Amino acid sequence: MIALSVAAVLAIFLVYTSLAGGTPSLRPSTLAGYSGTVSLVGKVVGTPTGDAHGAGLRFGLRDVKGGATTVPVLYHGTVPDLFAKGRDVVVQGRLRNGVFVAQRNSLLTKCPSKYAPAKSSSTS
Amino acid sequence: MPDLGRAALVIAFLLLVYAAVGGAFAALTRRRRLAASAQNALTAAFGATAVASAVLLVALARHDFSFQYVAEHTSKDLPLGYTLTAFWGGQEGSLLLWLLVLCGYAAAAVLTTRRVARDLLAWTVPVLAGIASFFAFMLVFVSSPFATQHAPADGAGLNPSLQNPYMAIHPPMLYLGYVGLTVPFAFAMGALLSRRTDERWIVATRRWTLAAWAFLGVGQLLGAHWAYVEIGWGGYYAWDPVENAALMPWLVATAYLHSVMIQEKRGMLRVWNMVLVALAFGLSIFGTFLTRSGVIQSIHSFSQSTLGSWFLGFICVIAVGSTALILLRLPLLRSKTKLESLVSREATFLYNNLLLVALSLTILWGVIYPLVSQLVRGEPSTVSKPYYDFFLHTFGLPLLLLMGIGPLVAWRRASVRALGRTFFWPLIVALVAGVVLLVLGAGSSRVGVIAYTFCVFVLASIVLEFARGTRARKALGTESWPGAFVSLIARNRRRYGGYVVHAAVVLLAIGVAGSSAYQTVKEQRLFPGQSMTVAGNTYVFRGYESHRAANHLAIRAIVDEYHGSSHIATLHPGKNSYFAEQQVSNEVAIRHDLLTGADSFLIADQVNANGSIDLKILQKPLVNLIWLAGLVFVAGSLITLWPDAVEERRLAARYAGALAEA
Amino acid sequence: MTGALVIGAAIAVLCVVVVAWPFLREPNARDDRLIEPGALEQRRLAVAEERDRALAALKELEFDHRTGKISDDDYRSQVGPLRRRAADALRALDVRADGPRRPGRVGREV
Repeated sequence: MIALSVAAVLAIFLVYTSLAGGTPSLRPSTLAGYSGTVSLVGKVVGTPTGDAHGAGLRFGLRDVKGGATTVPVLYHGTVPDLFAKGRDVVVQGRLRNGVFVAQRNSLLTKCPSKYAPAKSSSTS
Repeated sequence: MPDLGRAALVIAFLLLVYAAVGGAFAALTRRRRLAASAQNALTAAFGATAVASAVLLVALARHDFSFQYVAEHTSKDLPLGYTLTAFWGGQEGSLLLWLLVLCGYAAAAVLTTRRVARDLLAWTVPVLAGIASFFAFMLVFVSSPFATQHAPADGAGLNPSLQNPYMAIHPPMLYLGYVGLTVPFAFAMGALLSRRTDERWIVATRRWTLAAWAFLGVGQLLGAHWAYVEIGWGGYYAWDPVENAALMPWLVATAYLHSVMIQEKRGMLRVWNMVLVALAFGLSIFGTFLTRSGVIQSIHSFSQSTLGSWFLGFICVIAVGSTALILLRLPLLRSKTKLESLVSREATFLYNNLLLVALSLTILWGVIYPLVSQLVRGEPSTVSKPYYDFFLHTFGLPLLLLMGIGPLVAWRRASVRALGRTFFWPLIVALVAGVVLLVLGAGSSRVGVIAYTFCVFVLASIVLEFARGTRARKALGTESWPGAFVSLIARNRRRYGGYVVHAAVVLLAIGVAGSSAYQTVKEQRLFPGQSMTVAGNTYVFRGYESHRAANHLAIRAIVDEYHGSSHIATLHPGKNSYFAEQQVSNEVAIRHDLLTGADSFLIADQVNANGSIDLKILQKPLVNLIWLAGLVFVAGSLITLWPDAVEERRLAARYAGALAEA
Repeated sequence: MTGALVIGAAIAVLCVVVVAWPFLREPNARDDRLIEPGALEQRRLAVAEERDRALAALKELEFDHRTGKISDDDYRSQVGPLRRRAADALRALDVRADGPRRPGRVGREV
């Protein structure tokens, strides 16, 4: 009986995740062509300009491991403390007319030092 | 000096390998002296690890930057407290802490179990030593804290957000929890290996498991509190893989604590308990694997280190080994007792187990989903808050309800009439509360209302339990009401301690529901003199002030909080710029309303050059109940852990009587 | 550095002594066998646990009845079989013990 209920439960969330689906997690080099909401992971290149609480913060993202493609990002909302040129970030949003328009408050920066946590997101 | 540290670790490694191999050989061939020698080796390994730890501590205290580890995690201007706690601030040091705690637990468990279950130790020692030798191996060959370098002028310093008392104590608390789960696992495997069918291993490990579970729970609350006040995004839990890494084994350990009670009372669920204890331990190792490798993308873990593959291999060995052992001993474990009724305390415990394990597995699935989806679809996909929230509600709310139902149901079989009587008052109170809440406007969140109503139900049933028990006790003798109350708890520590812990969970649930389902958030750009209103209070921005401290420059906004025309407080959210580390940290301002338990949470999102501020304000109802729940949790755990002389004597008599010398 | 060397050597020697201690203490042990419960003892242990389980169940039944969780009817129907189980376990243990040892009475405690 135990086994059956556990199996039933497992089935529930397997179904949920496959139907609702997760958010695809992409890199700048693999972003092209996606029209839906995705999660973009990359390294900040160039100096960020603009005002995240005003007209919008603009910066470029490139693959963490290096690459030619740079995706311009437009972001509104809270900017994590660690955000800077050269840091690895994750941001949700969608590609519109060549610019990745980010969802408000979805920017997360990874901590540069190993094993030391630091985050600033507006979840929960 | 680093040589001494390295040597101590090598000695520890050799001792542990000897204890594992020699101990296993001794158990197989039944050699007494060799088994005793293996036990001694395990204890000595603790000593060697302690020496290595002392070396690192001294190096930290002396700011000896020739130690790479010291240079990477401290700086000359770091206060002494944080310099010492930087011991576990990095990869290698935290591994050393793990080994130290593990050897400490192992030595203590072995020493205290000698009376009750000496024959169990024969196999438990090799299992403990085998696990510890993996960590010793990592410390000696893969990731040593004693790497040296040409000493730089100053160290890199500690991440400013880690310079916080909660963060200083959070890792040791967590480790006392994670690592503590090794003890019941080792005893369980030891019992299987030596073909024991009795419950001694459960009796021997009961307090260890409780303590580990309590530490793990407290450690998580400390981490949540740190995230709340230090990182300051307004929340306390982000479903980050590293956070989930601690939650998963804790949930399984909670299930285990309950189902073990069934095994003790009715002799059922033996196979299930073996599976649970192995799962809890496996998840704790998996948790530490997640935190260290770069396998799952997380805010916390970044670099792909070689550690990941080693840990993965270790997890596989444990998983395969324990599964094989359980399957092998399946005939021995099968019990004859069956579940008599789906409406009994055993059944509610079973439902509770299923829900807890299901929740833990959904979290696990969410954590590894990126890997799975990458394998299946070619590119990774992540799940986030909506996924976790859905399952937290689906499994968590019934669990909440069960906490109220379980204590009111009798063992074996409960008649419907008896149920009706015991449930009557809690149900009425809960229904009334539900209606009141809806009238007060709590209906804005459906989940919130349901959660609150269930919480009232559980609290009512707990209060009723205490009341009935006290009344029954008083009827027996001439004690006063308070006296009866105290002696009731003292004579039934496990039961009533458990009720206190349930009350803590209810407080936690109310706090979480209030601060997430009913919070108010508002962001606005303000110039000096301008104001914004959040949840009935007005906040006026006055301007900035700044001052220079030893290692940072502090910029603070001055914000006055008003309710109507009366001034409540002046708050100072802002930012700190650290010189040595070249980092900026967010410094939030929180005002606790002690009467309502709510918090006004102010974040200086952006300090603008033109003198304005982008201010984000959250009003979080009842959030302080979460921290209060932590205190109640500790109290309840202490009550259940408290040694009971009568119980000890009874157990000793049971085993001495049965195990008379041949 | 020599200080570290000396301390390290001392620790190593100490550890070797600690590990070898059981052998040093009894160089010629007549009986080197691990004490383990035999089959008889294992059965006795199982019966002892069964006895304790039955006694604890009885105690809890009384407690639940006293605090009103179990109705009089339910109590009456359950207490008989439980008392029989406890008595059976007590008897089985006495037989094995081969002596006049009698475990304590069933206390009526709350």
